[in-house]
Amino acid sequence: MAATGDDAAAMDSISKAPAAHLAALNPAASTSVPAEGPEDAADSLAAASRRPGTNSDGGVETAEEAVEPAEPDINELCTDMFEKMAVFLQGELTATCEDYRLLENMNKLTSLKYMEMKDISINISRNLQDLNNKYASLQPYLDQINQIEEQVSALEQAAYKLDAYSKKLEARFKKLEKR
Amino acid sequence: MASADAQPRFGQSVKGLLSDKVGSCSGDVIALTRQVLKGSRSQELLGQAARNMVIQEDAILHSEDSLRKMSIITTHLQYQQEAIQKNVEHSKHLQDQLRHLLK
Repeated sequence: MAATGDDAAAMDSISKAPAAHLAALNPAASTSVPAEGPEDAADSLAAASRRPGTNSDGGVETAEEAVEPAEPDINELCTDMFEKMAVFLQGELTATCEDYRLLENMNKLTSLKYMEMKDISINISRNLQDLNNKYASLQPYLDQINQIEEQVSALEQAAYKLDAYSKKLEARFKKLEKR
Repeated sequence: MASADAQPRFGQSVKGLLSDKVGSCSGDVIALTRQVLKGSRSQELLGQAARNMVIQEDAILHSEDSLRKMSIITTHLQYQQEAIQKNVEHSKHLQDQLRHLLK
Protein backbone atom coordinates (compact mmCIF):
# COMPACT_ATOMS: atom_id res chain seq x y z
CA MET A 1 0.00 0.00 0.00
CA ALA A 2 2.87 2.35 0.81
CA ALA A 3 4.36 1.68 -2.56
CA THR A 4 1.06 2.41 -4.27
CA GLY A 5 0.83 5.76 -2.41
CA ASP A 6 4.36 6.67 -3.40
CA ASP A 7 3.69 5.77 -7.03
CA ALA A 8 0.47 7.81 -7.03
CA ALA A 9 2.33 10.80 -5.60
CA ALA A 10 5.02 10.34 -8.23
CA MET A 11 2.40 10.27 -11.00
CA ASP A 12 0.79 13.46 -9.63
CA SER A 13 4.07 15.31 -9.35
CA ILE A 14 4.94 14.33 -12.92
CA SER A 15 1.91 16.12 -14.24
CA LYS A 16 2.48 19.29 -12.15
CA ALA A 17 6.31 19.86 -11.85
CA PRO A 18 7.87 22.73 -13.98
CA ALA A 19 10.83 22.23 -16.31
CA ALA A 20 13.22 24.48 -14.34
CA HIS A 21 12.78 22.44 -11.19
CA LEU A 22 13.57 19.35 -13.26
CA ALA A 23 16.79 20.82 -14.68
CA ALA A 24 18.03 21.77 -11.23
CA LEU A 25 17.20 18.45 -9.67
CA ASN A 26 18.54 16.20 -12.50
CA PRO A 27 22.25 16.29 -11.56
CA ALA A 28 21.33 15.94 -7.89
CA ALA A 29 19.04 13.01 -8.61
CA SER A 30 21.54 11.24 -10.82
CA THR A 31 24.26 11.37 -8.18
CA SER A 32 22.08 10.66 -5.17
CA VAL A 33 19.96 7.77 -6.52
CA PRO A 34 22.55 4.99 -6.25
CA ALA A 35 23.52 5.96 -2.68
CA GLU A 36 19.99 6.11 -1.24
CA GLY A 37 18.57 3.35 0.88
CA PRO A 38 15.06 1.96 0.93
CA GLU A 39 13.90 4.54 3.48
CA ASP A 40 14.64 7.32 0.95
CA ALA A 41 12.75 5.61 -1.85
CA ALA A 42 9.91 8.17 -1.69
CA ASP A 43 12.35 11.10 -2.03
CA SER A 44 14.18 9.43 -4.89
CA LEU A 45 10.89 8.65 -6.56
CA ALA A 46 9.84 12.25 -6.20
CA ALA A 47 13.19 13.43 -7.52
CA ALA A 48 13.19 11.03 -10.40
CA SER A 49 9.60 11.68 -11.21
CA ARG A 50 10.35 15.37 -11.62
CA ARG A 51 12.91 14.43 -14.28
CA PRO A 52 10.42 14.28 -17.09
CA GLY A 53 9.33 17.77 -17.96
CA THR A 54 7.30 19.64 -20.47
CA ASN A 55 8.71 21.59 -23.35
CA SER A 56 6.46 24.16 -24.87
CA ASP A 57 8.07 25.25 -28.11
CA GLY A 58 5.67 26.86 -30.52
CA GLY A 59 2.60 25.86 -28.54
CA VAL A 60 3.33 22.12 -28.61
CA GLU A 61 3.76 20.39 -25.30
CA THR A 62 5.80 17.23 -25.05
CA ALA A 63 6.45 15.03 -22.10
CA GLU A 64 8.97 12.34 -21.40
CA GLU A 65 8.21 9.00 -19.91
CA ALA A 66 8.36 8.70 -16.15
CA VAL A 67 11.01 6.26 -15.03
CA GLU A 68 11.77 4.92 -11.60
CA PRO A 69 15.35 4.38 -10.57
CA ALA A 70 16.23 0.69 -11.02
CA GLU A 71 16.81 -1.37 -7.92
CA PRO A 72 20.43 -2.34 -7.49
CA ASP A 73 19.81 -6.09 -8.05
CA ILE A 74 17.23 -5.72 -10.82
CA ASN A 75 19.92 -5.85 -13.49
CA GLU A 76 21.24 -9.12 -12.13
CA LEU A 77 17.73 -10.52 -11.95
CA CYS A 78 17.04 -9.45 -15.53
CA THR A 79 20.31 -10.95 -16.74
CA ASP A 80 19.54 -14.15 -14.86
CA MET A 81 16.06 -14.27 -16.37
CA PHE A 82 17.29 -13.80 -19.91
CA GLU A 83 20.06 -16.33 -19.46
CA LYS A 84 17.61 -18.94 -18.21
CA MET A 85 15.25 -18.14 -21.09
CA ALA A 86 18.13 -18.64 -23.49
CA VAL A 87 19.04 -21.96 -21.86
CA PHE A 88 15.44 -23.13 -22.06
CA LEU A 89 15.08 -22.17 -25.72
CA GLN A 90 18.43 -23.77 -26.46
CA GLY A 91 17.18 -26.97 -24.86
CA GLU A 92 14.00 -26.91 -26.92
CA LEU A 93 15.97 -26.58 -30.13
CA THR A 94 18.64 -29.09 -29.06
CA ALA A 95 16.09 -31.92 -29.14
CA THR A 96 15.57 -31.46 -32.88
CA CYS A 97 19.31 -31.05 -33.43
CA GLU A 98 19.94 -34.34 -31.65
CA ASP A 99 17.36 -36.06 -33.87
CA TYR A 100 19.19 -34.75 -36.92
CA ARG A 101 22.51 -35.86 -35.47
CA LEU A 102 21.13 -39.36 -34.86
CA LEU A 103 19.91 -39.59 -38.44
CA GLU A 104 23.22 -38.26 -39.70
CA ASN A 105 25.16 -40.94 -37.78
CA MET A 106 22.81 -43.67 -38.97
CA ASN A 107 23.23 -42.50 -42.56
CA LYS A 108 27.01 -42.41 -42.22
CA LEU A 109 27.11 -45.97 -40.87
CA THR A 110 24.79 -47.18 -43.60
CA SER A 111 26.90 -45.50 -46.28
CA LEU A 112 30.01 -47.22 -44.85
CA LYS A 113 28.20 -50.56 -45.01
CA TYR A 114 27.20 -49.89 -48.61
CA MET A 115 30.80 -48.96 -49.49
CA GLU A 116 32.02 -52.29 -48.07
CA MET A 117 29.33 -54.10 -50.04
CA LYS A 118 30.39 -52.19 -53.15
CA ASP A 119 34.02 -53.34 -52.70
CA ILE A 120 32.90 -56.94 -52.21
CA SER A 121 30.71 -56.72 -55.32
CA ILE A 122 33.58 -55.30 -57.39
CA ASN A 123 35.82 -58.18 -56.27
CA ILE A 124 33.15 -60.75 -57.08
CA SER A 125 32.58 -59.23 -60.51
CA ARG A 126 36.30 -59.24 -61.31
CA ASN A 127 36.73 -62.82 -60.13
CA LEU A 128 33.73 -64.02 -62.12
CA GLN A 129 35.03 -62.30 -65.26
CA ASP A 130 38.39 -64.05 -64.83
CA LEU A 131 36.60 -67.34 -64.26
CA ASN A 132 34.55 -66.88 -67.42
CA ASN A 133 37.71 -66.18 -69.43
CA LYS A 134 39.44 -69.25 -68.00
CA TYR A 135 36.44 -71.46 -68.68
CA ALA A 136 36.39 -70.06 -72.24
CA SER A 137 40.06 -71.05 -72.63
CA LEU A 138 39.16 -74.55 -71.36
CA GLN A 139 36.61 -75.03 -74.16
CA PRO A 140 39.03 -76.75 -76.66
CA TYR A 141 39.97 -79.22 -73.92
CA LEU A 142 36.32 -79.89 -73.21
CA ASP A 143 35.80 -80.54 -76.94
CA GLN A 144 38.72 -82.98 -76.83
CA ILE A 145 37.06 -84.73 -73.91
CA ASN A 146 33.90 -85.08 -76.02
CA GLN A 147 35.94 -86.55 -78.85
CA ILE A 148 37.65 -88.91 -76.42
CA GLU A 149 34.29 -90.07 -75.22
CA GLU A 150 33.11 -90.76 -78.78
CA GLN A 151 36.32 -92.64 -79.54
CA VAL A 152 35.98 -94.67 -76.37
CA SER A 153 32.43 -95.58 -77.39
CA ALA A 154 33.69 -96.64 -80.84
CA LEU A 155 36.44 -98.68 -79.15
CA GLU A 156 33.91 -100.35 -76.94
CA GLN A 157 31.77 -101.31 -79.97
CA ALA A 158 34.85 -102.68 -81.72
CA ALA A 159 35.72 -104.69 -78.60
CA TYR A 160 32.18 -106.16 -78.50
CA LYS A 161 32.43 -107.14 -82.19
CA LEU A 162 35.83 -108.69 -81.63
CA ASP A 163 34.53 -110.63 -78.71
CA ALA A 164 31.57 -111.94 -80.71
CA TYR A 165 33.85 -112.91 -83.64
CA SER A 166 36.26 -114.70 -81.36
CA LYS A 167 33.40 -116.68 -79.85
CA LYS A 168 32.21 -117.72 -83.34
CA LEU A 169 35.74 -118.77 -84.22
CA GLU A 170 35.98 -120.85 -81.07
CA ALA A 171 32.70 -122.63 -81.83
CA ARG A 172 33.76 -123.44 -85.43
CA PHE A 173 37.12 -124.72 -84.22
CA LYS A 174 35.46 -127.06 -81.76
CA LYS A 175 33.15 -128.35 -84.49
CA LEU A 176 36.09 -129.07 -86.76
CA GLU A 177 37.93 -130.80 -83.92
CA LYS A 178 35.01 -133.19 -83.35
CA ARG A 179 35.03 -134.28 -86.98
CA MET B 1 -2.63 -12.95 -25.76
CA ALA B 2 -0.06 -10.14 -25.84
CA SER B 3 -2.45 -7.24 -25.27
CA ALA B 4 -4.78 -8.78 -22.71
CA ASP B 5 -3.38 -6.82 -19.79
CA ALA B 6 -2.28 -3.68 -21.61
CA GLN B 7 -4.65 -1.36 -19.69
CA PRO B 8 -3.55 -0.45 -16.15
CA ARG B 9 -5.72 -2.16 -13.59
CA PHE B 10 -7.14 -0.40 -10.59
CA GLY B 11 -5.04 -0.90 -7.48
CA GLN B 12 -2.07 -2.47 -9.27
CA SER B 13 1.36 -0.85 -9.20
CA VAL B 14 3.54 -0.08 -12.17
CA LYS B 15 6.01 -2.66 -10.97
CA GLY B 16 3.32 -5.31 -10.78
CA LEU B 17 2.12 -4.45 -14.28
CA LEU B 18 5.65 -4.56 -15.58
CA SER B 19 6.38 -7.93 -14.00
CA ASP B 20 3.13 -9.31 -15.39
CA LYS B 21 4.02 -7.97 -18.80
CA VAL B 22 7.49 -9.52 -18.65
CA GLY B 23 5.99 -12.84 -17.56
CA SER B 24 3.45 -12.82 -20.34
CA CYS B 25 6.12 -11.91 -22.92
CA SER B 26 8.30 -14.78 -21.77
CA GLY B 27 5.34 -17.14 -21.94
CA ASP B 28 4.59 -15.87 -25.44
CA VAL B 29 8.17 -16.47 -26.58
CA ILE B 30 8.07 -20.00 -25.17
CA ALA B 31 4.70 -20.70 -26.78
CA LEU B 32 5.95 -19.30 -30.08
CA THR B 33 9.04 -21.49 -29.99
CA ARG B 34 6.95 -24.57 -29.24
CA GLN B 35 4.49 -23.72 -31.99
CA VAL B 36 7.29 -23.24 -34.50
CA LEU B 37 8.76 -26.60 -33.57
CA LYS B 38 5.37 -28.28 -33.65
CA GLY B 39 4.44 -26.68 -36.96
CA SER B 40 7.62 -27.81 -38.65
CA ARG B 41 6.71 -31.45 -37.78
CA SER B 42 10.40 -32.14 -37.61
CA GLN B 43 9.99 -34.43 -34.60
CA GLU B 44 7.57 -36.82 -36.26
CA LEU B 45 9.28 -36.76 -39.65
CA LEU B 46 12.69 -37.47 -38.16
CA GLY B 47 11.22 -40.16 -35.92
CA GLN B 48 9.59 -41.82 -38.92
CA ALA B 49 12.87 -41.64 -40.85
CA ALA B 50 14.72 -43.29 -37.97
CA ARG B 51 12.10 -46.06 -37.74
CA ASN B 52 12.33 -46.73 -41.49
CA MET B 53 16.12 -46.88 -41.26
CA VAL B 54 15.89 -49.46 -38.46
CA ILE B 55 13.53 -51.58 -40.59
CA GLN B 56 15.94 -51.39 -43.53
CA GLU B 57 18.91 -52.41 -41.41
CA ASP B 58 17.82 -56.05 -41.35
CA ALA B 59 17.65 -56.16 -45.16
CA ILE B 60 21.04 -54.47 -45.45
CA LEU B 61 22.68 -57.01 -43.11
CA HIS B 62 21.11 -59.88 -45.05
CA SER B 63 22.40 -58.44 -48.33
CA GLU B 64 25.90 -58.08 -46.91
CA ASP B 65 25.79 -61.69 -45.67
CA SER B 66 24.71 -62.91 -49.11
CA LEU B 67 27.50 -60.98 -50.81
CA ARG B 68 30.12 -62.47 -48.50
CA LYS B 69 28.79 -65.99 -49.23
CA MET B 70 28.93 -65.21 -52.95
CA SER B 71 32.55 -64.18 -52.69
CA ILE B 72 33.39 -67.45 -50.87
CA ILE B 73 31.58 -69.44 -53.58
CA THR B 74 33.55 -67.55 -56.26
CA THR B 75 36.81 -68.48 -54.51
CA HIS B 76 35.77 -72.15 -54.46
CA LEU B 77 34.93 -71.95 -58.18
CA GLN B 78 38.42 -70.61 -58.84
CA TYR B 79 39.97 -73.56 -56.97
CA GLN B 80 37.84 -75.99 -59.00
CA GLN B 81 38.81 -74.29 -62.25
CA GLU B 82 42.50 -74.63 -61.40
CA ALA B 83 42.03 -78.35 -60.66
CA ILE B 84 40.17 -78.85 -63.97
CA GLN B 85 42.93 -76.99 -65.83
CA LYS B 86 45.56 -79.27 -64.35
CA ASN B 87 43.72 -82.47 -65.20
CA VAL B 88 42.56 -81.43 -68.65
CA GLU B 89 46.13 -81.13 -69.90
CA HIS B 90 46.43 -84.97 -69.85
CA SER B 91 43.58 -85.32 -72.33
CA LYS B 92 45.85 -84.70 -75.33
CA HIS B 93 47.96 -87.79 -74.58
CA LEU B 94 44.82 -89.80 -74.07
CA GLN B 95 43.51 -88.75 -77.43
CA ASP B 96 46.74 -89.72 -79.24
CA GLN B 97 46.68 -93.16 -77.60
CA LEU B 98 43.06 -93.70 -78.57
CA ARG B 99 43.76 -92.66 -82.14
CA HIS B 100 46.50 -95.25 -82.37
CA LEU B 101 44.24 -97.90 -80.87
CA LEU B 102 41.44 -97.23 -83.29
CA LYS B 103 43.65 -97.35 -86.36
